[in-house]
Amino acid sequence: MSFTLNPKSAPKLDAQASGEIRLVNVTKRFDVTHAVKDINLTIPHGSYCCLLGPSGCGKTTILRMIAGHETPTSGQIYIGDQMVVGKAPVERGTAMMFQNYALFPHLTILDNVAFYLKMRGVGKDQRRKRAHQMLERVQLDHLRNRMPAQLSGGQQQRVALARALITNPRVLLLDEPLSALDEFLRLQMRGELKTLQAELGITFVHVTHTQPEAIALADTVVVMDHGRIDQAGTANEIFNWPTTPYVARFMGGQNVLTGTVESASGAMARLRGPRGELFDAPLSPAPTIGTPVSIAIRRDRIHVGRVPGEKAELQPNSVAGVVESTEFQGNFVKVNILVEGGGPFVANVSDEEYFGELVKPGDRVVPRWNPEHVHVLSKADSNNAQKPYSEE
Amino acid sequence: MAANPSYGPRPWTFYVLATLFALFVVFLYGPMIAVLILSFQGPSASLVFPLRDPSLMWFDELFNPRRVGDVVGAFSRSLPLALMVMVLTVLISVSAGFAFRRRFLGSSLIFYTAIASLIVPGLVLSIGTLVTFRYLGLSASWYTSALGAHLSWALPFGLLIMFAVLGRLNPSYEEAAYDLGASRWQTLKDVVVPIVFPGMIAVALFGFTLSYDEFPRSWLTVGTKNTLPLEIWTMTTNVTSPALYALGTVTTVVSFVVIALALGSIVIIQRRRSTRE
Repeated sequence: MSFTLNPKSAPKLDAQASGEIRLVNVTKRFDVTHAVKDINLTIPHGSYCCLLGPSGCGKTTILRMIAGHETPTSGQIYIGDQMVVGKAPVERGTAMMFQNYALFPHLTILDNVAFYLKMRGVGKDQRRKRAHQMLERVQLDHLRNRMPAQLSGGQQQRVALARALITNPRVLLLDEPLSALDEFLRLQMRGELKTLQAELGITFVHVTHTQPEAIALADTVVVMDHGRIDQAGTANEIFNWPTTPYVARFMGGQNVLTGTVESASGAMARLRGPRGELFDAPLSPAPTIGTPVSIAIRRDRIHVGRVPGEKAELQPNSVAGVVESTEFQGNFVKVNILVEGGGPFVANVSDEEYFGELVKPGDRVVPRWNPEHVHVLSKADSNNAQKPYSEE
Repeated sequence: MAANPSYGPRPWTFYVLATLFALFVVFLYGPMIAVLILSFQGPSASLVFPLRDPSLMWFDELFNPRRVGDVVGAFSRSLPLALMVMVLTVLISVSAGFAFRRRFLGSSLIFYTAIASLIVPGLVLSIGTLVTFRYLGLSASWYTSALGAHLSWALPFGLLIMFAVLGRLNPSYEEAAYDLGASRWQTLKDVVVPIVFPGMIAVALFGFTLSYDEFPRSWLTVGTKNTLPLEIWTMTTNVTSPALYALGTVTTVVSFVVIALALGSIVIIQRRRSTRE
């Protein structure tokens, strides 16, 4: 599989300073376990890329291989037109921001930021002057003589950012940069990272396990699972047109159903679910009768209707279930439904609709949807019992 | 009930533990204070309380050895020996600590072999060292055989401290330094050593004090000339004057000065760092 992505805007083509990252057949093995299996990925210059997946999926290993802190077992990594495997981070033009920021505890903020210049033999006055300017840029110049331990988490993060940016990198690598911050700061820093990336025009690669973070920031979202890339695309593509049941479930916001093809007419196929439910799905070319197909329907495209009588005939494009719980989310209500004999099913109902026809836990309901909102997944769910990823 | 809010009486365990701690302090400092006071004993030369006609005569006696042993000579051997043990313990423990950060084949075996010398009784080790030196045709002296015997005692402590210190050192500091273009040597000099420096001071202190007051491992290994603890031991058997107490006071003061210097240097370094412009 190969994923090539178009940048949001045309990249400034400068062969010397291009921050395009190309991974070619990259594999990383630790002893006998594969952390990363045969990855091919191109991240365009000047784009914001998020590597997204649960812990242990190999996203951090990829970041560390790009940074030069890990050597791939096989495969090539190119930055610009340079093959960088075996090169030091500084030669690669990358800079990394560590998860715990790794600010040197024995140096002042100013000396932390000036560290790179000191290593290059830049004189004391010169390097402190440049560190000053960099700190001014992240609005922390007034704290230059403090020690890292005297700073708040958000301030430490900005120092780490300044320390990385003073190397003038083509690629900035961020390892879970927002995970140590509280919710309020996280949202604020998220915005600042995005602004900064647009301002600098360099490539940002950001590792996260938080879906909203990836969707909010990235030009390119790369969803990973078990050392492989499941899907790479724009946030819109990943969220609305997931290709696999895994991506659909991991991104949240989707309900995944599986059935076998019963009949096909034109561009529409009719599927039969395991309990006899009927689903319509836009499928072309017409599939073979009996093929298993998985479909996804967004949570906010579901209408929840109460069962009028005891024995209601189930209409096509609906399932039967019992309300498990409801969560008020402000401008919508999340209704968790247990489908009879099946897994969880979630409907995000608008507050108007919810308070118009109140459903309570224990109510028998029929969630239904319009077939035009059905999205067919390229892989059928193998109906495995394992549910590796819980909701959000 | 009572007007003041009450959070209940202290539990009985508080009084038990407080008594225990008070006893601990008395046993720790009581003897030291007794020796300190009696070292100022007057010409009555009484070895017990009360203190009569306080004077400095026994300190004078100490440094003018007419009847007392060779205190100055013993000190001039003990101090350099302790300093050598200190420097070697720091160098070896720190480098071994770095080696053990990455697991290598046989690392646990080497670790336990090094630690095992803590279990061997000091006197036995002393005899063994002497016998081995004799067998090899070498003569025992404070700067060869005694140095080795002291290292066998101080190094395991140094190693254990360094393992604890380096075990807590987050590898991302070194990665960050590498990421910012530091060479291995620069990483060591500008990042790792400054971060673990307080641990190195602790190792140095252990090395110094363990050697400075070591008796069993010095017993047969120092050769013909005594170190301070051996000299004190000899004096207790043939000197019966408060000069013994004066000696105790002087050696304790030397130990305290060394500790104060070490801790003071940590404080000064940290202050210099935090206020540096």
